[in-house]
Amino acid sequence: MSDTSFYIKLDNVTKEFPLAGRHALTVIKELSLDIEKGSLVSILGPSGCGKSTLLNLMNGLDDVSAGSITVNGHRIGRKEQSNVRIGVAFQTPRLLNWRSVRDNVILPLLVNGVTRAEARDRAAKYLDLVGLGEFADYFPLRLSGGMQQRVSLARGLALEPDLLLADEPFSALDEITATRLRSELVEMWRVTGRTILFVTHNIREAVFLSSRLVVVTARPCHVHLDLPILVPHPRDVTDKGLFEIETYVSEQFKVMEREARERAASKAA
Amino acid sequence: MDGTRQGAPGDIKHRLETRTQAKRAAILPEAVSMPAPVDPAAPGGAIIEPVPRSDANGDILLRILSIVALVVIWQVASLFLSNTVLPGPLPVVQAMIDNLKIGQTYVDIGATIYRVFAGVIIAVAGGLALGLIMGLSRRGEQFFDSWVLVGLTIPAVVYGIVGILWFGLNNAAAIIAIALTALPAVTLNIWQGVKAIDMSLVHMAKAFRFPSLTIMRTIIIPQVLPYLLAAFRYALGIGWKTATIVELIGLSTGVGYQLNYWFGLFNMTEVLAWTLTFTIVLLAFEFLIFKPVESYLTRWRTDVQRS
Repeated sequence: MSDTSFYIKLDNVTKEFPLAGRHALTVIKELSLDIEKGSLVSILGPSGCGKSTLLNLMNGLDDVSAGSITVNGHRIGRKEQSNVRIGVAFQTPRLLNWRSVRDNVILPLLVNGVTRAEARDRAAKYLDLVGLGEFADYFPLRLSGGMQQRVSLARGLALEPDLLLADEPFSALDEITATRLRSELVEMWRVTGRTILFVTHNIREAVFLSSRLVVVTARPCHVHLDLPILVPHPRDVTDKGLFEIETYVSEQFKVMEREARERAASKAA
Repeated sequence: MDGTRQGAPGDIKHRLETRTQAKRAAILPEAVSMPAPVDPAAPGGAIIEPVPRSDANGDILLRILSIVALVVIWQVASLFLSNTVLPGPLPVVQAMIDNLKIGQTYVDIGATIYRVFAGVIIAVAGGLALGLIMGLSRRGEQFFDSWVLVGLTIPAVVYGIVGILWFGLNNAAAIIAIALTALPAVTLNIWQGVKAIDMSLVHMAKAFRFPSLTIMRTIIIPQVLPYLLAAFRYALGIGWKTATIVELIGLSTGVGYQLNYWFGLFNMTEVLAWTLTFTIVLLAFEFLIFKPVESYLTRWRTDVQRS
């Protein structure tokens, strides 16, 4: 049973969405991926390639069409959600605008069995971390878009999840805030040893953050490149090694695009 | 919000931003030498300035001014017209005060208030149920949407006649007529409200494993609430108009009955006095109960900070 040695195991996962009166849309095709416990894996791919769908599947919010997903030894599906604590950070803030910033962070904690006192402490801690400690009593609509996004991130982190599913959480932030939060994320990951799955279309971000980088293709999504990044943390944004990896990955993206074009051309012919 | 308070917001926003920037800079040493940037992700005027006190006073002043202007126009117009066409504000107010000294006036006002509120409550309850069905189920929508259209088209007076023919000359007729008249509009409002629910929030809640009841309580209801309040207010307006019609056609109490009685005597002063009386009752409800409740429930839209 070497299968169970991996924390997350995606085995030949295919996801299709039925379209009325046409062929089903295949978003993910025969994707296999093993993820070790405690790794920070970036999934890098062109936009619209099914990365978010993949996260939904892993969170048990949707069922695979074929294949299987196992998290911590449990097969995942809509009927059978995982036993691990999963935190989520989205591309957009998705805050409850009628609740204070603090309540927004606290609510998922209470739902997941954290006591009220502990939840308040954690909300304060993680709001401080994203630089919004003094805005806890504000309603979200009083904050700028970037600030709302940081609240959303604090919400995902405050759960102190075993597995964090991050869906381009920094893409809407200004570069300086994003840089700082990336470093904080890596630091938290190093200290806690939790597993993070980070979806992005930003090559530099993926290279800087992850212990392993998985490049997936455009729809239907499958693994194009699986690359360990061995540069030790904490990393420096100006590190030459990282820059070389970034260049390499960019080249791979070009190869991937050319292949996709050729495939499309041969299909048309 | 409405673009009229755009002058100052930049200032507070800038102050708030510089405060956070300073904090960030303290944590991130390499940013120290950089000028504090303005958050590019921030949409302009995202932080809304609290309404300055002078402005709030200005609002009240403008309101008073508008009412005074109305009364002045009324007074001036009445000078050129006979008392049977348009009596001035003074005799009308005098008639109203005289009426308020008579016990029967309160019986009539009370009867109308009872009918309006009973009818509106039935309309809101029924409209909430129907609107939820139509908003949440495609089949429900297809089944009921023509009903709503038909219901909206039928004039209030028809509901009044039907109510009286069915139930006789009594309260039930008025209440049912009011409920039926207001029901389609309430349904329409709730239906639109449910359809406007931000599903990405429901998705977020599911990702965090919120139970269904918590989703209903923390995400669905708060989003439908503004529509429910709007529907309630609208129903109240319709209800009062319908009540008057039914009372005018066939009942022997209520403001509508009084209007009919004085209309029969061609007494324009009393007709206007009764109209004014009930308008004041409805405005009192609006400003003393409805507005405070509404502004509390939707405070997250306009307040800067929780008190």
